[in-house]
Amino acid sequence: MRIRSTEGMNGLELVSAAVEEAGRSGAEAAEAYFDRSEEIVIEVRDGEVENLKVAQESGVGIRILRNGCLGFAYTSDWSWPAIQEAVGAALANARVASPDSFNNLPEPPAAYPEIDLRDPSLKEIPLEDKIALARRIEQSGRSYDPRILVTEQAAYEESHYQVSIANSRGVSASDEGSYCGGAAALVAGADGEQQSGFGLQYTRSYAELNPDAIGREAAHKAVRLLGSRRLGTRRAAVVFDPYVVTNFLSVLAAALTAEAVQKGRSLFAGRIGERVAADGVTIIDDGTLRGGLMSAPFDGEGAPARRNVLVQDGILQGFMQNSYTAARDGLDSTGNASRGSYKSPPELGSTNFYLAPGNLGQDQIISQTASGIYLTDVMGMHTVNPISGDFSVGAAGIWIEHGEFTTPVRGMVIAGNILELLEGIDAVGRDIRFFVGKGAPTLRVARLTISGE
Amino acid sequence: MLERTDLQEILKIARRGSDFAEIFMEQLESTRIGCEDRQIERVISGREQGAGIRAVHGDHTAYGYTNALDRESLLKLADQVARAAQSDETTAVVLKQRSSTVQLPVARHPDDTPVEEKVALVREAEQSARCQDEQLLRQVSVGYADTIQQVTIANTEGAYVEDERVRCRMSVNAVAAEGAVIQTGYDSAGGTKGFELFDEEKPSELGRLAAQRALLMLHARRAPAGRMPVVLSGEAGGTMIHEACGHGLEADLAQKNLSVYSGKKGERVASPLVTVVDDGTLPGRFGSFRFDDEGNPARKTVLIEKGVLSGFMYDHITAVKDEVEPTGNGRRQSFQHRPIPRMSTTYLASGETPPGEIIRETKSGLLVRRMGGGQVNTTNGDFVFEVPEGYLIENGEVTAPVRGATLTGNGPDVLNQIDLVGSDFGFSLGVCGKEGQGVPVSDAQPTIRIPSLTVGGIIEDGASTGEEGDED
Repeated sequence: MRIRSTEGMNGLELVSAAVEEAGRSGAEAAEAYFDRSEEIVIEVRDGEVENLKVAQESGVGIRILRNGCLGFAYTSDWSWPAIQEAVGAALANARVASPDSFNNLPEPPAAYPEIDLRDPSLKEIPLEDKIALARRIEQSGRSYDPRILVTEQAAYEESHYQVSIANSRGVSASDEGSYCGGAAALVAGADGEQQSGFGLQYTRSYAELNPDAIGREAAHKAVRLLGSRRLGTRRAAVVFDPYVVTNFLSVLAAALTAEAVQKGRSLFAGRIGERVAADGVTIIDDGTLRGGLMSAPFDGEGAPARRNVLVQDGILQGFMQNSYTAARDGLDSTGNASRGSYKSPPELGSTNFYLAPGNLGQDQIISQTASGIYLTDVMGMHTVNPISGDFSVGAAGIWIEHGEFTTPVRGMVIAGNILELLEGIDAVGRDIRFFVGKGAPTLRVARLTISGE
Repeated sequence: MLERTDLQEILKIARRGSDFAEIFMEQLESTRIGCEDRQIERVISGREQGAGIRAVHGDHTAYGYTNALDRESLLKLADQVARAAQSDETTAVVLKQRSSTVQLPVARHPDDTPVEEKVALVREAEQSARCQDEQLLRQVSVGYADTIQQVTIANTEGAYVEDERVRCRMSVNAVAAEGAVIQTGYDSAGGTKGFELFDEEKPSELGRLAAQRALLMLHARRAPAGRMPVVLSGEAGGTMIHEACGHGLEADLAQKNLSVYSGKKGERVASPLVTVVDDGTLPGRFGSFRFDDEGNPARKTVLIEKGVLSGFMYDHITAVKDEVEPTGNGRRQSFQHRPIPRMSTTYLASGETPPGEIIRETKSGLLVRRMGGGQVNTTNGDFVFEVPEGYLIENGEVTAPVRGATLTGNGPDVLNQIDLVGSDFGFSLGVCGKEGQGVPVSDAQPTIRIPSLTVGGIIEDGASTGEEGDED
């Protein structure tokens, strides 16, 4: 078949044609990935729409394997000449890459899990309703407390996407989905001091969005930090808010990939079967999670999504894998080839990654804390050393004395090591909450260094 | 490509009754190379194109973008954006070419450089790092990227700009391990220039420095914790200035009362030793450009002069609001984003004191020779930084290297405290993130002393200082 134009092709036809073209051009194996997304963002301030964004984007990424070397190229122009050019560029790139016998593309599976990722009502709901929802987020936050002075952000966002993938071993799959969400960031002020707080909710279902809760959460978080002060340096208990836990989970997710282990940059290397966290700490990555923002039937290279228990009751079970790392370890892919868009080749990353909930209510954890900090905000998480696990992050929160909140504190630094933190967890809450791809409950760590004055 | 008359028609439709409309068209070509585990793992080339159209009416902005660059698609998008801006009149637009005096010559276009040559430079950096210590260096990774961005910007004020921005960048990460201690080292080079960047910034030198930093930190002590004098070396670059005060001087944050500097123009906000400048015109710097992403020429803006707040960084919208000229700080990551006020190259100007004297005058404290990543809460001015390369200062002398230090403080407080400003000057570069948009920036500063800053380190059990419940 000789193709002259891609006009009228759907995503799956397009990627199949690209894979065939790569084969004709001399690739031993090839993969093509197409995605198209549409997005709406509404930002309001002081009751008025400040920014309204409507957007669409699409493109194709082509991965070629020749003599054991990988090459990749992408294009946002999916006319046939542009695709041919991308195939040529990917082949040229493969020529200068290093050969690696573990490079491979996955075979098609017997079946993909069935996951519903669409809210068919989302496109039917008029824009005016979505603007009203964004206004309501702001309004509920602003009216929460007279000390809420400024709207930093009050927004509604939705996205519709479509993904197609094909490879020369027979993978051929498509998937579409949508999600929507709301976010608020509000500033509270009193006595010349300003503090900010945020609330957010992202969901697959428009009906689940709760604008009042988003606005009130942002306002509550801002107001509770007013009057904060800096305490002296000490070692004390730290109660982690679920959001702060998810910040640390991002570091753990990277360290729990087989890639990090194979490249000598995981603090968990060689520790499968060993205790790496306190009893009661279970960490799961689940690409099939119902309603999960990161759920999909297949991963970024067409392997089926799975649920993988990585740490069970403190014992390390295994690592997340894609086709390459799995081949190197002699294992199966765990469905963790991740792909931001057509612009990147598949990497290795988490899907819905969470620390499983325990039995305690947050109030119980607080009331059983003699002295410590309830940590609500951390700054500088990107400075955590993923290899050594050492961290030293800016911290704000509320001081706890005799099981009760006393004064808000900020400008403190919490330092330690991730492993020490995991092993020191002595309470796990039942209040699990997801922030896009990461979920966690409230946790308490018995003792960490908190620096201040 | 579209004719200027097509753009005039698109803008006419996009504006209708709005105050302002603009189109930003972009074609981006990029090459990225990644080396890790002694392997050239990733060689990626990409082509992307698209256009963003915006209409601004009072405080309301409508923005749309698409990958399609043909006339029909853009007329359709212009109509969508105009309807989103809820305006309905039409007025004609006449476009005139704008000029910039900023020179950003490209001697060797990355497009004319074979990918083999780029791979060879990556290899050179990797080898140079590895040979610093084959045993202790557990991992070396090198990243290379070049981008060629063609933009066409036109707006209803008649501005018309066509520009090409060429940037090259390389970074090296080294991991050294001995026993249970694992440490990392980093170095990078980048510029708004062509492949000639690597004639000046030798990849072998980047590799060597990254590896040496990782090796040095293997034997570093843990950083002390608590409040102490901190000397930031000029070599550390101006990340602190960028984070601790730069963001708060971006006009959007200031106008929305989200900055500690809101409404403080003309007031003393820093020690009289402190002058802070943003300058997008510096030759070849990573944060430099001829025109910003709204088509305004780059310029030099004094933000704080001898301790007094003298100006903010403006894009179009914020300049209209404050009734001032835009300062050429309207930047965006790509056609997918609306422009917002952003820094270019931000620096704290040099002073009089020789850097050696600043150390000698410091009885005890922390010397920061390399700054790592940072973050700032612009609402209250609190910031945090990591210190990948720090040393103790004892009796006016630099002594043992320390690791794991983090600096936390408050921007306005630090600027007020600075009591010594050095006669040296050093640059650093990076990609700055704001509202989900990354743009290339540089920053610079001389050696400075901050008399009292919180250093976060680790204290062992039983060694805690301070009483429970005490205050600052």
